[in-house]
Amino acid sequence: MPEPRLIDGRGMEPPEPLELAVAELGTLAPGEELVMLLNCEPLPLYAILDRSGYRYRSERRADGSNEVHIQKA
Amino acid sequence: MQPTLSFEQAPPISVPYRFFLTAPLFGAVAGLILAWLGPAALESRWSPGALAMTHLIVVDFMLQAMCGSLLQFVAVVAGANIWRPRLVAAVVHPLITAGAVFLATAFLLEQQLLFLLAALTFATALGLFLTVMAIALLRTPARGMSIYVLRLAVFGLLVTVVLGVILAGTLGMQESLQSVWSLLTLINVHVAWGLGGWALMLVIGVSYLVVPMFQLTPAYPVWLTRLVPAGLFLVLCLWSLQLLPTGAAQAWQSGVVLAGMLLAGLFAVATLWLQSRRRRRQADVTFVFWRGAMLALLGLAASWLLFEALPQLGGHARAPLWLGVLALPGVFLSVIMGMLYKIMPFLNWLHLQRQGGTALPPPNMKQMIPERAMRAQMRLHFAALVLLLAAVLWPALALPAGLAFSASCLWLEWNLIGAARLYARFRDRIRAAAASSAASPA
Repeated sequence: MPEPRLIDGRGMEPPEPLELAVAELGTLAPGEELVMLLNCEPLPLYAILDRSGYRYRSERRADGSNEVHIQKA
Repeated sequence: MQPTLSFEQAPPISVPYRFFLTAPLFGAVAGLILAWLGPAALESRWSPGALAMTHLIVVDFMLQAMCGSLLQFVAVVAGANIWRPRLVAAVVHPLITAGAVFLATAFLLEQQLLFLLAALTFATALGLFLTVMAIALLRTPARGMSIYVLRLAVFGLLVTVVLGVILAGTLGMQESLQSVWSLLTLINVHVAWGLGGWALMLVIGVSYLVVPMFQLTPAYPVWLTRLVPAGLFLVLCLWSLQLLPTGAAQAWQSGVVLAGMLLAGLFAVATLWLQSRRRRRQADVTFVFWRGAMLALLGLAASWLLFEALPQLGGHARAPLWLGVLALPGVFLSVIMGMLYKIMPFLNWLHLQRQGGTALPPPNMKQMIPERAMRAQMRLHFAALVLLLAAVLWPALALPAGLAFSASCLWLEWNLIGAARLYARFRDRIRAAAASSAASPA
């Protein structure tokens, strides 16, 4: 299984993490995972993922940030 | 509490953009009026020119930009359903524009009929806007201090508008309400609610979300997020007691203003402190605009204290103009300009992303308005602010100050038009790509 790709958006200004995620989604192979670390709940990203055919799960980390795992549906 | 944004509720992009693209034009007109009238406009806060410029800035620049932002912000942050945003914008936007033109012209020409027309258009436009906004904010399931503070701000606008319409009606009919209230009492309360209860309250409510999110600072301390708006609201209520038939004791009125100024100063210091602890060292234009605005707010509070301590200085006819320049171009226009440079690229990106999907990704957010153009306009804005303050001290500088302020507003307009044109170009490209893929055989 390939290493997941990681976008650490915690030090980035919105919508930079979204811009990077959209760029990565286009090249995400089936079974490959994109992991995002964010300070906020990325509702606009979820809407993009729903529309574009990706599945995701989000976990709240101990430090209060969100970890979002994304794969092609 | 984690900040969240939901763009599924966002109104069409044309709703906020019509407000954003109109607002700076009237700042430019205000600057030209100052340049044209020269030192006469700066004789006192009661000169026709000063009153016309003030209302062009507070209504046509600030109110336009704030109404446009609020229609967007409430839908996105509070997840609130705005009743028919397209219709509301189509009614409110032209009426506010017309109302402010009537009002400014009424002050300049001292025409009673124009005061009446202004009162009527504002009552209609803002009556609709306030009703729609109050319903949306009261019905939203969202919680959090930003929502509570936005409700207070909308209430502040309601009080400002009611008093403003009474004042314009009074000036229009030459019917003196002086048997009930003196004109000065009405103006005192109108100005306090307009600047403190509406404009500053809105900046405070928005800052709780946008400063940590976009400037990557720590969150505002919870105690401060409660103390500042609640304290400010209490101060405004106490200040309004002068409307009671018995009036309020003059002695404690300056104590009430002192409390308000200390709260405003506390908010400014807290924001500057949070900015100093941001996670990213880079300072973009929005960040610098906010910093400038908070320094102007501190300057405003300090100037007021100085004027209280030195009555011979505070009693000067131009002292209120000094405070007005710090408050309007200094605090509020700086925040608005900084926010417009953040909001328009962000909205461009999100709306284009929604239309183009991952197949045709939008340009990078930083390409929406060239950084150099924003930075240069920002420098001109702060230079114009310094010139305006200097012109209060030496009115002979009214001409360069007015021209510099006008040029800064026009440059802002140019930069915003560039963003809107880029949006339109890319939207057309997405539509053309969709049309050609639909036309080509599978």
